[in-house]
Amino acid sequence: MTPKDEGHGSITSSDQQLVLSSLEPEQLAGLKKHLIPRRHLKGLEKFVMWSLRIYLLFMMVAVIYQVWTSLH
Amino acid sequence: MNLGPLSRILPQAKLQEDVVITHEDVDRAHDRVRVSEARAQRGIFSRFRLLWLLVGPGILVMLGENDGPSMISYAATGARFGIGFFIPFVILTFCMAIVVQEMTMRLGSATHRGHAELIFDRFGPFWGWFSMIDLGIGNFLTLITEFIAIRAGLGFFGVPPWAAVASALVFLCLAVMMHRYWTWERTLLAIAAFNLVFVPVALLTHPNWHSVGSALITWKPLPGGLSQDTLIIVLADIGATVTPWMLFFQQSATVDKGLTRKDIHLGRIDTTVGAALAAIAAVATILATAPLFAHHITAENLQGAEFAQALQPLIGRFGAALFALGIVEAGMVASVTISISSAYAFGEVARRPHSLNLPVGQGKAFYSVLFLCAATAGAIVLIPGLPLVYVVLLVNVVAVLAMPPALVFLFMLANDREIMGDLVSPRWANFLATCVVVFLTLAGLLFGVSVIAPNFFAFLGGK
Repeated sequence: MTPKDEGHGSITSSDQQLVLSSLEPEQLAGLKKHLIPRRHLKGLEKFVMWSLRIYLLFMMVAVIYQVWTSLH
Repeated sequence: MNLGPLSRILPQAKLQEDVVITHEDVDRAHDRVRVSEARAQRGIFSRFRLLWLLVGPGILVMLGENDGPSMISYAATGARFGIGFFIPFVILTFCMAIVVQEMTMRLGSATHRGHAELIFDRFGPFWGWFSMIDLGIGNFLTLITEFIAIRAGLGFFGVPPWAAVASALVFLCLAVMMHRYWTWERTLLAIAAFNLVFVPVALLTHPNWHSVGSALITWKPLPGGLSQDTLIIVLADIGATVTPWMLFFQQSATVDKGLTRKDIHLGRIDTTVGAALAAIAAVATILATAPLFAHHITAENLQGAEFAQALQPLIGRFGAALFALGIVEAGMVASVTISISSAYAFGEVARRPHSLNLPVGQGKAFYSVLFLCAATAGAIVLIPGLPLVYVVLLVNVVAVLAMPPALVFLFMLANDREIMGDLVSPRWANFLATCVVVFLTLAGLLFGVSVIAPNFFAFLGGK
């Protein structure tokens, strides 16, 4: 692992040691750039996701209708 | 090093890569050292010190939820219904909030990832961007209502609107410019404690404690019965119990604070204490304005500081001033937490650095989003003749759109064994969470219907 200095005081080797001994690897800011793999949805979960999509579609139409009637 | 469940599903090659250590990591490591030292010691004092070090996100999110519009809503409830049904009901809503917020704290501690990035990664870009945009719009509109509350509260003391908005923005700058999560959190906690100013205001009204005790046991009286209007207020209160920004904020703050699996037990205490404090402030606000109901003073059209003016003949200038200050505090704390919630979510989805430990140079995007949201919302409040009713309606509609997906994703993520490992919700907790999620979703839906189609409840035979 390498330290990073962006003009706010250099990160010393003792800082580096402190970070490595105190934080879990997943807590390191640099590691968060890696995406977590996408979840494989099963039957019920797929049903829930499609229900959410239909819900959103319905509510969007209702909201747009409401805004349109309010404006007129 | 202690590897968490994410390490098992992230490609090992990436974990072995040359990871850059930043100042954000160093600051967080210093905080964790103090936690480890407190944990290593024995004795009651050390236990309390450990608790003191770990509390924060839970208390802040709950007291942040007691924002300007919420306190005005509680004041309106007290003025309209007095001491009765709504006192135990409000306490119940905070119990539901504990169930939901505990899941976000657990998710953050187990995965060290924010809510927005987990949705983005696990459910794909569509839901990730949807959550982000919906949260952004909802937060921005809510921020406008916070600035309205600040303006109204300071207006009680004769402060002109521009000065009220400017002071709120200066407060936001001062709160965030410390570049240190720990300092920011402690400062905001101290200010958020001022939410309890409604307790002395309630005491000044000399509440009838026998009526309060009776209401807590019997859930009565409910003046006017379960009419159409009352049902809408009930649904609005349920819908306002858990709002999307709360889910995103507590999880991101938990990650930024650096809580780990070992801290979950104390994280639960943090969330519960926060809910208890917020419930006390909410009930106190209802008690504070209950005399308006008892004196048959019409309060249906009162806004913000007008409640303070209406209470002044009953509790004096000092009590009224405390009430107005409480509204200001509620708006100020919420404006900070909501702005930060937007900035966290943006950073997570856009893969930009997002932490209150970041120096400005490294967190330009994070701080820019934070200040732009707040400054624009503040500027909008200064527009003469702002249609406040329309803004509030839009806030509710956006919340209704966002809540069901947010709650469903939260439930699915908390039960995702790949990222949570053995920290997935146990069966009893899932049963409780399912009931709360279904209840909140249905209440939000019904409230949305009541906003979009106000005559709908006439079919239910309302009075």
